[in-house]
Amino acid sequence: MASPLEDDIFEKLKQKTDAAETEKRQQDVNAKVHAQYQKAQERLVELVDDNSTLPVTISSIRVLHATHTRREFLERIFQPLLSVNRDGPYTLSEALSDVSTATNQLNKFDIFKSPISIFIDKPDPSDPSTTPTDIAVYLSAQERSRYTIKTGTEVGHSEGNAFVNVQLRNLFGGAESLNAHGSLGTRTRSAYSVGFDAPVLSNPDFRFEVNGQASSTLKSWASHEEVLKGGTTKLKYLTEGGHRHEVGYSGIWRQVTSLAENASPTVRGDAGDSFKSSISHTWINDRRDYPLLPNRGYLMKTVAEIAGLGPLGGDVGFGKLEGETQAAVPLGSGVTFTAGLRGGLLYPLSLSSGNAPIQSRINDRFQLGGPTDVRGFRLSGLGPHDGSDAVGGDIYAAGGASLLFPIPRVGADTPLRLQAFVNGGRLLALKGKSKEGVMDSKAVASNMRRTIAALKDGLPSCAAGLGIVYAHPVARFEINFSLPLVLRAAEAGRKGLSFGVGVEFL
Amino acid sequence: MPPKESERNDAVRGGAASSSSSSSSSPQQQQRRSAFTIPPPLKRLFDAFPLVTYPPNELPLRAPRNRYQHALYVFATAEGAELGAPSYNPSCLKWQTYLEFCNINFCVVPSNNHASPTGALPFLLPSSSELSKPSPPVPSGKLQKWTLQNSSSVVEEPSDMRYEAYLSLIDHRIRRAWLYALYLTPNFTSIAESLYILPASSNSFVRLTIAYELRAAAEAELLKHSAVISAETLYKDAEEAFAALETVLGDGEWFFGAAKPGLFDASVFAYTHLLLDKALGNGWSESRLRNAVLGNRKLVAHRERILTTFYTGA
Repeated sequence: MASPLEDDIFEKLKQKTDAAETEKRQQDVNAKVHAQYQKAQERLVELVDDNSTLPVTISSIRVLHATHTRREFLERIFQPLLSVNRDGPYTLSEALSDVSTATNQLNKFDIFKSPISIFIDKPDPSDPSTTPTDIAVYLSAQERSRYTIKTGTEVGHSEGNAFVNVQLRNLFGGAESLNAHGSLGTRTRSAYSVGFDAPVLSNPDFRFEVNGQASSTLKSWASHEEVLKGGTTKLKYLTEGGHRHEVGYSGIWRQVTSLAENASPTVRGDAGDSFKSSISHTWINDRRDYPLLPNRGYLMKTVAEIAGLGPLGGDVGFGKLEGETQAAVPLGSGVTFTAGLRGGLLYPLSLSSGNAPIQSRINDRFQLGGPTDVRGFRLSGLGPHDGSDAVGGDIYAAGGASLLFPIPRVGADTPLRLQAFVNGGRLLALKGKSKEGVMDSKAVASNMRRTIAALKDGLPSCAAGLGIVYAHPVARFEINFSLPLVLRAAEAGRKGLSFGVGVEFL
Repeated sequence: MPPKESERNDAVRGGAASSSSSSSSSPQQQQRRSAFTIPPPLKRLFDAFPLVTYPPNELPLRAPRNRYQHALYVFATAEGAELGAPSYNPSCLKWQTYLEFCNINFCVVPSNNHASPTGALPFLLPSSSELSKPSPPVPSGKLQKWTLQNSSSVVEEPSDMRYEAYLSLIDHRIRRAWLYALYLTPNFTSIAESLYILPASSNSFVRLTIAYELRAAAEAELLKHSAVISAETLYKDAEEAFAALETVLGDGEWFFGAAKPGLFDASVFAYTHLLLDKALGNGWSESRLRNAVLGNRKLVAHRERILTTFYTGA
């Protein structure tokens, strides 16, 4: 039998430590570590502060571990920092801020693991080639893995698909990347693309992209399947003010094929092959705080495209302009008002081989309506309809306003909101009385003016409703109950509940 | 992949089906109505919307306006279609001619295989009195039946024992020789290219691909019947077939002694006319098959008879 003393020890061991006590101890430890860290930081800041005006010269910059990255690529970034290449001397603080700017640039290429750490060292004073002000900078840049392969399946938004995505990073040691994507699905029947993307002159904000694609998409709202094969090339530029520009050329062979049994004569008429050769420019200025559920800020976007003009060739000729703007205003206590406006115009142009402007095809015309643009309508529910087919229009204008409230007892911190909305729009085909769509440029211009004027005829087709919004980091989900208020005959409104997933909403 | 947009039908959706809205009359929705019933107050609410309905939007300019006439979709040039000229594709020409024989009032729409519900031209889109309710297309396989139901002057097909046998001569021997002559000889450049490829697109990459696909399809079709493609055999078979047709036509005006031309005459004419057409495409560069018809004077006369009687406009 154990002695009472031993019992006591076991008793003590058995006794559970008080949870509150443990927590308190842990907190103490944390506080201590934190204080120590803060002190170290302060000392560092003091040290740098004391020496901020210390004249220095950067004699060398060494990027460690970047074994696969080309020397010339890094040189373009770091060469200007070296004192040899500068007119005036540095102070220590200037030198540090320049080095960190260059490091940020390096981070943006997405080829190094972050963080990239910076070390500063004094060179050996006994080396006769150094001056007393010299410092040497060391960057420890661990390269990320050179490839990523992702496979997966996605189910949702009335579509299911399986995909493979392969990315090769830093292909030639200059932050070039190669992306290959393949997917098979129910609505986007198949899609394959290969893209090559490289920064121009080691500038992460100036990129060049070449892309080849082949896809086949079921367009059930117009009873056909569209098969695309082609290539695009783009220059993407981000200005210092945060404006994004893209200028590119694309050549795409489009096929309207696999028509449904009840396809309308308009769709049958556009069935077959056409080649689009176009140059385009996109400008985006996004100042919204959270693009998927903005609380404050605005978005402006324009897309301009010219196809078939002069040397471009191809089978279709048009000028296409689209503009989009959205603004969000906080009204206090988590309530936000957002308003959006979109518009577009498709202007027929003549090809170099013909003299009459070519009228638009279903591939190029705009579609409007659906849970991500004009809510309360079916997908492509607005605009001209031939039978049950949404055949699209040449001019559109759409606008919407939403009031977003935090859900009671859930709070404004969650990405959940209640919304009340009104939205509407008009989508019109170019007017004109022409036999088989032949009219000269003068007639096109006057008919275009008439069509624009007709946008204001009557009330726009519109709908209003209530719903719940959830902003997931990847996409925004909405469930709305809506009723159409104004319709054109044959336009497809949607009464009751509808579900929307997307990244851009009106 | 970033999600794009979506729609999902649900229980309440059924409300639209029972509403007065013009957008809600597809058969799919009617099925839904039977599956879900909605409470009457909600139905009354739904019925009140939309508050305003305006007349429909105008259709785009390229949309065909002529909906009150039957439209036969065939391979044709825009000008040829306007004049009602014979199609340059044998199977299209056969049905075009047959409809002419049967006094059907129709217009010719230049088109391509992508437009067809079966993947091959021709097909007929019957006229519809209501724009919003187009009638279903009639593929070539059902055209004869459709014609029997819709023509006032139906052509009776002769009940000759030899009918089927001779028809198979056209559908197999002559068709195969035609495929060979058009797609696998220099005629491809002089005829097929200018008729089937150049109008499809102005882009050379697209043209090359279509040309390759066309030739490959013709070759695959020929290889279905024999292990090797022998020009000599194909041509010889066709020559024999034409000679046999010449004999069976004899001195009669139409095949099998019929009083009026029928589907068989149309089938023969479809090949003889195109082979005898000097101006087809840019002209025949390899003319052995053409000569095979030229040697049969009764067939030549038969073609002339149809051309002058039924294609006066072109």
